[in-house]
Amino acid sequence: MKLSRRRFIAGTSGALLLAAGRLSDARGLLTDPLLSSVIDTALGTAKRAGATYADVRMVRRRAEQISTREDHVEGVGASDSYGFGVRVIADGAWGFAASPTVNTNEAARVAALAVAVAKANARALAAPVKLAPAPAVVDVWQTALTKDPFRIPLEEKAAFLIAINAEALKVPGVKFCSSSIQSLGEWKLLTTSEGSSIEQNITRIAPAYTVTAVDAKGGDSVTRTHELPARQAGWEYVEQSSFFADARRMGEDAVEKLKAASVEPGKRTIILAPSNLWLTIHESIGHSTELDRMLGYEANMAGTSFATVEQLGKLRYGASLLTFYADKTTPGGLATCGYDDDGVKTQRWDLISKGVLTHVQTTREQAAWIGETASRGTCYGEDYKAFPFQRMPNVSLASGERDLTVEDLIAATDDGIYITGDGSWSIDHQRYNFQFGGQMFYEVKKGKIARPLRDVAYQANSLEFWGSCDLLGGPRAWELHGALYDGKGEPGQVNAVSHGCPPGRFTANVVNSRKS
Amino acid sequence: MALDRTQSTKLLQEVLATAAKVAPGAQAKVGIVSAREANARFAKGGITSAGDVNETTLTVGLAFGKRHASSTTNQLDARSLRDVVVRTREMAKLAPEDPEYMPPLGAQKYASAGAAYDPAIEKLDATALADAAQSALRAAKDASVDLAGYLQHRTEAWGLADSAGLSAYHLETPVEFTATARTPDGTGSGWGGAWTNRWRELDAGATSTVAIDKALKSRKARALAPGRYTVVLEPAAVANLISFLAWSLDARRADEGRSFFAKAGGGTKLGERLFGEHITFRSDPGRPEMPFTPFDEEGLPILPTTWIDRGQVAALEYSRYWAAKQSKTPTGRPEGYELLGGTESSAKLVSGVKRGVLITRFWYLRWLDPMTMTVTGLTRDGVFLIEGGEVTGPVNNFRFNESPINLLKNADGLASQVRVGNKRVPALRSHEFNLASVSNAV
Repeated sequence: MKLSRRRFIAGTSGALLLAAGRLSDARGLLTDPLLSSVIDTALGTAKRAGATYADVRMVRRRAEQISTREDHVEGVGASDSYGFGVRVIADGAWGFAASPTVNTNEAARVAALAVAVAKANARALAAPVKLAPAPAVVDVWQTALTKDPFRIPLEEKAAFLIAINAEALKVPGVKFCSSSIQSLGEWKLLTTSEGSSIEQNITRIAPAYTVTAVDAKGGDSVTRTHELPARQAGWEYVEQSSFFADARRMGEDAVEKLKAASVEPGKRTIILAPSNLWLTIHESIGHSTELDRMLGYEANMAGTSFATVEQLGKLRYGASLLTFYADKTTPGGLATCGYDDDGVKTQRWDLISKGVLTHVQTTREQAAWIGETASRGTCYGEDYKAFPFQRMPNVSLASGERDLTVEDLIAATDDGIYITGDGSWSIDHQRYNFQFGGQMFYEVKKGKIARPLRDVAYQANSLEFWGSCDLLGGPRAWELHGALYDGKGEPGQVNAVSHGCPPGRFTANVVNSRKS
Repeated sequence: MALDRTQSTKLLQEVLATAAKVAPGAQAKVGIVSAREANARFAKGGITSAGDVNETTLTVGLAFGKRHASSTTNQLDARSLRDVVVRTREMAKLAPEDPEYMPPLGAQKYASAGAAYDPAIEKLDATALADAAQSALRAAKDASVDLAGYLQHRTEAWGLADSAGLSAYHLETPVEFTATARTPDGTGSGWGGAWTNRWRELDAGATSTVAIDKALKSRKARALAPGRYTVVLEPAAVANLISFLAWSLDARRADEGRSFFAKAGGGTKLGERLFGEHITFRSDPGRPEMPFTPFDEEGLPILPTTWIDRGQVAALEYSRYWAAKQSKTPTGRPEGYELLGGTESSAKLVSGVKRGVLITRFWYLRWLDPMTMTVTGLTRDGVFLIEGGEVTGPVNNFRFNESPINLLKNADGLASQVRVGNKRVPALRSHEFNLASVSNAV
């Protein structure tokens, strides 16, 4: 059975398909006629050179960016990279090599080099790599979207952004407004020596703008950034949002923040909007439940984790109203896809159930490290030249059982600070001590917003912070936020990832970020 | 693989010729980065992954009047080159006019940066990396500690050309080795790092030993309360904080009133005395100890420049556009910076401290406030109490909230310079450093 063009666009899973037939028909984005022979050559060469496992990832990444400031375009750019990486296991060790030159001669050279690298490494191997079994799959997957952002004319995007700047600049006191739209395309074809052949096409969009209010006389300035997150989606996502409609309010917020009272530090009740809380989840839940980090494999760069494998099923991570789950199938999630870069079907599972650490993030290599028989499907390499390894899936906080909104949380608070948007963020290398800023800060008194504040950051220990949660928003208040450029590994790779959550109420040390 | 000068120039001229043909009347700027990078990671007693990759990025910039756009591709066949030029042309025609657009530079003269390249590096095969990693792992095994680390060498060529006659080429071979040692009981952690452009200068075993010694000495840290302390920062910690000073040098942000170098009431702090005479901050791509590209992304020569001269703000960074608008000379943005050192040894810095904290390096630094240059971050991999001029034992990690401006204002001792990535900085003694809260991390 051949895959029709229509099916490819729809992105639905097909029945088992023969790779050769599918390749000739389904690769809608690339037209290199040598694709199949390059893959066959690489896998064949690797096997003959002694590889016991091999995969070939052909990856094309596209990006288009338009940025403006005030009344003009600052930059218009596009980037396009394409190539293949060959990952092998030989003599029990990983080897990897990659090239942007896609032809059969280069495929043979790169595959042989990957095996040579593996054999050199085998001399310094602690234990042979063993992959958890995964069924061979032939399938395609694609982002659900209605308007391809790459097809929206640049003129339209530029006019849209400059109109936003103009709206914000109408507010007295606003001096600058910078805005941008990034459109990102990631096409990849993974073929493994075990028979998998998986083609995926992922589209992401990231709109952003920042307004600056300046008090020249006092030598002071503040910024206000819109809170619309990046999303796996098409242009319709921007159109359906309040991105444009909010421009005037963003300007007013900046001016209000410039004049706001500087916060008095101290232990405070804080109410965090989803636009702020997502980043705290990312840093203190997402990263600390990565298995490689927990075991010390990332010690030289990103660090390790306070959470250990021995604590699975035992560690009280937070209040019992908190359940965090990993999910690479969340609609619109930046890390959402059909299969990971090990060829494992993506899934959802709990990391922390009712406040207790239950599971971690794994790849095929890692599953056996903790006695599991199957991978959780979190392997990812950012482009053709990146060695795929464990990367964070979308990690989200389930909404509370009560149908509470952020207004309900404010109304229930006698004395606290309400924080929206993400600002400065920093956490230690074992994920204990964090400190986060925000975009807007409001003092809450007797159930009402009393006045704006500025220079607010909250600092806490991860376990104490999550343990202090005593109110959580319900399903209506749940929002999906996220980041395009989460960094990990050496050489550093980026990973786009989303985090959904409702608003929540916590206790933390509020610090003044200006009066250090 | 890295293109040699002839290959790079030929390719760029071909792209310019294509641009002249398919985009007549356009001003063109083209550049190519081509590299081979090989790396190895190790942890838990063995090499965990390694790679050997080729990469290429060709950038084409076209402008019709003040309408401009740029595109990149990594495919260098004739059809792809033509496609990227055509795509850029179409984007440039659609782009609104940019009043800040600057035309191509034309021919420039650059200082030599020959010290940046070591021909031995591109000849290395996977065994060279594996051998170096093994020497590190052996040192760790002998000391019964876990060592995680990363070793990378890169041979990279960067070529630029434009339709006004500019031609630039730079070849370099940066090598990086870092290692973090942790004691099996989880109470000690130490770090070491080395950067060079010469393979023979790399000693993975010796650098690992620094990390291992620190890990062993940092075991079972005692509790120390947050507060303002006299600190001795080792070079890695100084380099971490000084990055924010380098970022803040942008003249436009200062003129616009939104950075530390903005003066209340308008203007900039150029000429103001901020620090003592012993503080000088500069850039020089020709320093053999830390060579870097002698031109910026547009091909503007990066000249030796002193930004802070014996405590005084001597220069700010001007882009071509902002320099033209302000009637200044453009400086471009250098890749590397150095804080000049002093004559004291690190041990001498410590001996002058009655009670203070010795800090190996920082982690996860983020802006808190650009107007005061206040930054947050955390210590890691070796924090020690100094009492009576001697290191008396390990203490817990801290989060700091502090400005590099205060750090340099309060600095009263500088050791000799050490290269840390693209900075050359000394160990430094300063006072009243705000260690704001305790971190339980080890």
